[in-house]
Amino acid sequence: MLRNNSLCMGQRRDLPVHKSLHEAARHVQACIGGVCCWELLRLLSPELILRREDSHLKGGAAKVEKMPQEESMRQCKQGAQHQQKHEEVPEKAEEKHEGLIEFHNSYRELFQFFCSNTTIHGAIRLVCSKKNKMKTAFWSVLFFLTFGLMYWQFGILYREYFSFPVSLNLNLNSDRLTFPAVTLCTLNPYRYSAVQKELDELDRITHQTLMDMYNYNMSVTQSDWAAQYTHKRSSRSLFHYVQRHPLRRHKRDNPAIVEENNPPVDKSDWKIGFLLCNEKSDDCFHQTYSSGVDAVREWYSFHYINILARMPSTKDLDESNFESFIYACRFNDVTCDKANYTHFHHPIYGNCYTFNDDNSSLWTSSLPGINNGLSLVVRTEQNDFIPLLSTVTGARVMVHNQNEPAFMDDGGFNIRPGIETSISMRKEMTLRLGGSYSDCTEDGKDVPVQNLYLSHYTEQVCIRSCFQLNMVKRCGCAYYFYPLPSGAEYCDYTKHIAWGYCYYKLQAEFKADILGCFRKCRKPCKMTEYHLSAGYSRWPSALSEDWVFHMLSQQNKYNITSKRNGVAKLNIFFEEWKYKTNGESPAFTVVTLLSQLGNQWSLWFGSSVLSVAELAELILDFVVITCILSFRWLRAWHETASTMSPPGGHDNTDFQSEVSGPSTPHRFTVEAVVTTLPSYNSLEQCESNRDAEMGLE
Amino acid sequence: MAAGRKITAKIKKTLPVTGPQAPTLGELMRWYCLNTNTHGCRRIVVSRGRLRRLLWIALTLSAVALILWQCAELVLGYYSASVSVTVRFQKLRFPAVTICNINPYKYSVIKEYLSELDKETRSALESLYGFSEGKPKVRRDAEDRNATAYQYLEKVPLLRFEDLTRKEATDLHSGHKRKIESNIFHKGSTNIGDPQNMIGFQLCDPNNSSDCAVYTFSSGVNAIQEWYKLHYMNIMAQIPLERKVNMGYSADDLLLTCFFDGLSCDTRNFTPFYHPLHGNCYTFNSGENGTILSTSTGGSEYGLQVVLYIEEADYNPFLVTSTGAKIIIHDQNEYPFIEDIGTEIETATATSIGMHFTESRKLSEPYSDCTESGADINVENLYNKTYSLQICLHSCFQKAMVDHCGCAQYAQPLPAGAEYCNYKKHPSWMYCYYKLHEKFVKEQLDCQQKCKEACSFKEWALTTSIAQWPSTASEDWMLRVLSWDKGQKINKMLKKTDLANLMVFYKDLNKRFISENPANSIVILLSNFGGQLGLWMSCSVVCVIEIVEVFFIDSLSIIMRRRWQKTKKWWNSRKAKQSRAPAPGTGPGKQGHDNPACIDEDLPTFNTALRLPLPQENHLPRTPPPNYSTLRLDTTFTEQLPDTLETESR
Repeated sequence: MLRNNSLCMGQRRDLPVHKSLHEAARHVQACIGGVCCWELLRLLSPELILRREDSHLKGGAAKVEKMPQEESMRQCKQGAQHQQKHEEVPEKAEEKHEGLIEFHNSYRELFQFFCSNTTIHGAIRLVCSKKNKMKTAFWSVLFFLTFGLMYWQFGILYREYFSFPVSLNLNLNSDRLTFPAVTLCTLNPYRYSAVQKELDELDRITHQTLMDMYNYNMSVTQSDWAAQYTHKRSSRSLFHYVQRHPLRRHKRDNPAIVEENNPPVDKSDWKIGFLLCNEKSDDCFHQTYSSGVDAVREWYSFHYINILARMPSTKDLDESNFESFIYACRFNDVTCDKANYTHFHHPIYGNCYTFNDDNSSLWTSSLPGINNGLSLVVRTEQNDFIPLLSTVTGARVMVHNQNEPAFMDDGGFNIRPGIETSISMRKEMTLRLGGSYSDCTEDGKDVPVQNLYLSHYTEQVCIRSCFQLNMVKRCGCAYYFYPLPSGAEYCDYTKHIAWGYCYYKLQAEFKADILGCFRKCRKPCKMTEYHLSAGYSRWPSALSEDWVFHMLSQQNKYNITSKRNGVAKLNIFFEEWKYKTNGESPAFTVVTLLSQLGNQWSLWFGSSVLSVAELAELILDFVVITCILSFRWLRAWHETASTMSPPGGHDNTDFQSEVSGPSTPHRFTVEAVVTTLPSYNSLEQCESNRDAEMGLE
Repeated sequence: MAAGRKITAKIKKTLPVTGPQAPTLGELMRWYCLNTNTHGCRRIVVSRGRLRRLLWIALTLSAVALILWQCAELVLGYYSASVSVTVRFQKLRFPAVTICNINPYKYSVIKEYLSELDKETRSALESLYGFSEGKPKVRRDAEDRNATAYQYLEKVPLLRFEDLTRKEATDLHSGHKRKIESNIFHKGSTNIGDPQNMIGFQLCDPNNSSDCAVYTFSSGVNAIQEWYKLHYMNIMAQIPLERKVNMGYSADDLLLTCFFDGLSCDTRNFTPFYHPLHGNCYTFNSGENGTILSTSTGGSEYGLQVVLYIEEADYNPFLVTSTGAKIIIHDQNEYPFIEDIGTEIETATATSIGMHFTESRKLSEPYSDCTESGADINVENLYNKTYSLQICLHSCFQKAMVDHCGCAQYAQPLPAGAEYCNYKKHPSWMYCYYKLHEKFVKEQLDCQQKCKEACSFKEWALTTSIAQWPSTASEDWMLRVLSWDKGQKINKMLKKTDLANLMVFYKDLNKRFISENPANSIVILLSNFGGQLGLWMSCSVVCVIEIVEVFFIDSLSIIMRRRWQKTKKWWNSRKAKQSRAPAPGTGPGKQGHDNPACIDEDLPTFNTALRLPLPQENHLPRTPPPNYSTLRLDTTFTEQLPDTLETESR
């Protein structure tokens, strides 16, 4: 004991500053977090004072006198430690036989072990300063406060993460761009001469209606159809059906009354429309238009659809003669050929040729600019158009991606006859992240709408498919302009009497999104857009007109009737190689979330995932020890019950016997644990003592 | 001997410089684990039970692995850029507007150079399609046919292909058939129209007549135009520049009226610019005189309004087939690539072009592969303007052209020391050019790889709308006034198809500025690192340093020391064979030497101070609490070293 004392003394002479500074340094290192700041301050201030004294006095004796209380504390501590050590010595040899898992003997040991070895800041203070009630209270308040603050921050972080924020990134790429598909339509569905037979009766009725309503005598082919009119008189079917949907005009204020033609009334008071009724003709409404031109066209095309739907095959009617529409074709200074285009027929826009649709050999421009794009000379002659259907002359062009259907009425561009139209393109891509980040679909497989088109998913494809499917479901037939679902047939009022009524009703619902098509159809995650801008110049020029037309007539059997309006030139080219990609990237990834959580955790507790593992271990240990203890207690109780001895006295002896028996390793472990403890414990106690001292001072 | 001992003592003292001077690696690890602030380690030592310890080792190691993985992820994602889009309302500088007539030179003036070529073209048209422009010409052609040989048709004959599979063609000029032995290049593989109507021409290598390339065209219009252009470029290459400038349109010819920002302007505001294919062009607001104009407000009233005089009657019938003007809107420092991306203006219409200005800036290396100034690109900039991808590609092609064919292509600027191709001097250039161009298209010239895009660029998005102009009501007086303005030079009324009205204006004065910024800064990266380290192990940079210190420096020193001891032991044992007497003497002797040395050199640090209790230590080695300040314990071990050594050696 004496030796111990001197050892302590010896240490005291020069150790305290270093030791405590060392401790302080450790604390600084460990507690950059919030909790430790107070602690640190408290720890440092006396030490600094101490050090100054030290340097002044230079001797040890004065200091020993100065702090007798602490010294004695330390001595006793050391002594106790020493005794423990002594006890430990003989057991050292046995310590090597370590169990697989060893448990503490009591809760007290368990907690002591935990609080002296845990890495959670604050917890040590909470448990180890239990001698001082004030302190415990203070630390527990701090502990729970920081705990609360941390979880508040955690909540904010989680909320931010699960809102899946995206940051927009805009890449400016430049590559050699593959040329998009270009679809060019004639704006004339059929040669009038080819379909005149079918449309004959409709035309006659239309002429009659126009005559009745507007006093307009459309006498283009009067003699022609008049001749047929007589011999086709017998087939009254069409007339009958057309009569079901008469074109009428009526006053704005009382639309229900059908008026006779009354010329003196001011024109603007009239509305033109046609009647649509359901099958029983008890519910009718007027599809009205403010302009007669619109009304007549709509009415005509309504009947036209019916006629087309009845025709067995429209294939033999369309004239897919490439050379008679496109006179010259060049791409990138190279002549185009048959392999470069595909043909399809659109019931309104006529023969459509899609260039560069073949995925196997796509065009790429060698340079941006007009010379490296697609250059076409097209025929825009209008002599054989269906007069009531095509009111536009020229051609229609659309630029779209390969594998996307060409919706000519969505993104078309009309070409004027007699003009060279130069369309410059700028590509722009939009990439959405998909998943939980934004509402889009990769390939449309997760959209609850069947894709009726034989193409990739686009929003338009989906919306049209959705409408068509609804049409089939509601009206029992399919709209002619959209593809046919399997098992359905196109609408025709000879079979489906009220389909017009149904269609217009459905369309109103569709537009108001009662059908839910706009909700169901999500945007594709990857979208490519082409921004077009056009420049126009007169073509051919007055001087070159002669030879150009001459050559065209020679080569393409083009008979010049109205020179300038007969042809048009079209150039489509990339304005630049640069293209923008509007992308999304997650603004808050798992990695950053973890980093943020770690930051918060370190800030408030200085603890880590491993600290949580420690806590988990503590809880597990606690449970296991509870089990063991309760098991023991149960057995003890059982034994006492069996031996019928008085329970109070026996309990202790039982316990002792057990300890000596199977649980010897437990005892060792306890002791071993205790041996490691003092380093911390003593420190804590000393510190707390010092703290107390400070408090006294 | 004494000196040697001193040295060894010194070495011994200095060798374990810092940290714990544990005798074995195990002790060191134990010390480290007990004292480190890194979580998990302490548990490995402190935990009781093998499985428990193993579990903690696994947990700690997995935490380390996770840290490494996440940090690697952070580092990999470091070079990402975020984009900021700012829309600012400000007074915008008006861009440069370059205006050209589509027809490069007045046909009436240039006719003297082209008469021969035109004559041959007409005759080719006649023989091909039976086209003649009028009787007098036919008569003249008939006269000429005997007199002059067709030099152009001779050089590059136009051929009509009856059947491509038979490889036979009719020479249009001579009329007799000729066999095409060469490999046919015909641009575009299969014929579309009638096989009889396939027109093309053949370009041969003059040195090796069997090496030919045949170009066919689906349309005769294209064939004739291409053929004409080929010869036209040859002719133009021989005419000196001043002459060409004189033949083109002057500013007074082209511009009838000019209005800018509500104020009248005239030809002095336009800078001439000579373009090889479009002749004289005029750049408004080129900034050449140092001032760059800007508009006070948006809208068509405050932009540039010009009326252009497009003299359609003076057009070259074969070279250009469309009528109008071409304009391009570009930055003052940019080269106007008018032939590539110019916008056409139609005659007899008013074209209004609304602009929307966007400026973009990318981050260069290492964020993306772009160039700031083009100085790092291995292609000489032939254009006297700021770098752009287009400029680079054109320059690269021109350079390759000069290298391969020995002359420069007409449409692009001349490199130093080269001259434009014409077949008087370079008879094979056309063949060479077509071959080279094909290579270029197929990316075999390496130009596309060499050229990088520029990091910052400005663009003006254009919206074009057109209207009939002048209206029938205003046509009369307007044409009369404009004719009067035009002056007495032409004593005729202007036709409305000769005029084009052009308006260029800012739609709004909002400038959209798109710039890339680094998404991560070093501060964010470090704080994320800190977060990861803290999350998994509550580690810090100090911990990392500690790990480095313990696991590398200290462990190494221990190993080294061990080695040293072993060799010394071996040496001692060898010496001991001779005499065992000096062996016990070394220990105390050394200690005696050691201490004074310490006192001499060292200040009273805690290392030296801790040596005081040493004598007691010898009696009771385990008395000092080993776990309190392990540093102390370790020093005692060093002092003990010679002793243990001795005992071992014994």
